[in-house]
Amino acid sequence: MRVAQDRLDATFAALADPTRRAIVAQLARGDATVNELAAPFAMTLPGISKHLKVLERCGLISRTRQAQFRPCHLERGALDSAVSWIEENRRIWSERFDKLDEHLRDIQAGPAPADTAPAKTRGEPADD
Amino acid sequence: MTNPTPQADELVYTRVFEAPRELVFRCMIEPEHLTHFWGPVGVTTPLETIRVDPRPGGVFETVMVNDADGSRYPTRSIFVEVTEPERIVWTEPDNGVTTTSTFRDLGGSRTEVRIHQVNVPAAFRSPEAQAGFSTSLDRFAAYLAKLA
Repeated sequence: MRVAQDRLDATFAALADPTRRAIVAQLARGDATVNELAAPFAMTLPGISKHLKVLERCGLISRTRQAQFRPCHLERGALDSAVSWIEENRRIWSERFDKLDEHLRDIQAGPAPADTAPAKTRGEPADD
Repeated sequence: MTNPTPQADELVYTRVFEAPRELVFRCMIEPEHLTHFWGPVGVTTPLETIRVDPRPGGVFETVMVNDADGSRYPTRSIFVEVTEPERIVWTEPDNGVTTTSTFRDLGGSRTEVRIHQVNVPAAFRSPEAQAGFSTSLDRFAAYLAKLA
């Protein structure tokens, strides 16, 4: 659990930087080399490399060892787990509050009128 | 803006209940009420597992039991703030998640409850970081949903 949480923290920290978010956004469209990733930014290759290392460390991207090209690849699982924390908690609160809504109705309706309510007739309605 | 878009590292969830604020507030801190709704669907929180000491530093413990297979999920939080009937803040020491519940009296026996959960250590939550999270990760979420 602790490890997963640390990883999630690292992912959020990595995504706190606008340049790194832009890199991730570009990689969402497909793998790209460092040169391709650097093109939209007024940044040196070492500058971009620094950002890529941060993204790589938290598992958001991976790089293959293919000579000087080394295309970067977005690891969707890592991004997914960052997003799914929110979705999972939203579901829990939604279901919890559905139950709370029901509970509030119950207690505000007063005690169950077991002995005061007239017995409901269950038979066929009389047709006359 | 009354209901801003949540940031990617946090959750904002709002619901309006047809009940007076004092009652809704009590439901969030009294075991006799919590046992009726605390577990999500398919999960029960038995009364005897709930410990609530609603003051700063006090514990908020539950055990959620899976109805299907009986597996138990203990939860443990520490209250940071309890301001009746407006605000409750607790934090989970195990994962650093902080939850703020805000209760707003809408009049006519209606109460809005706003849950705000933050998942990331405060050091990472600069205003710049927050400004960027919402747009970029919302886009990613939408994008991932399309892939699924």
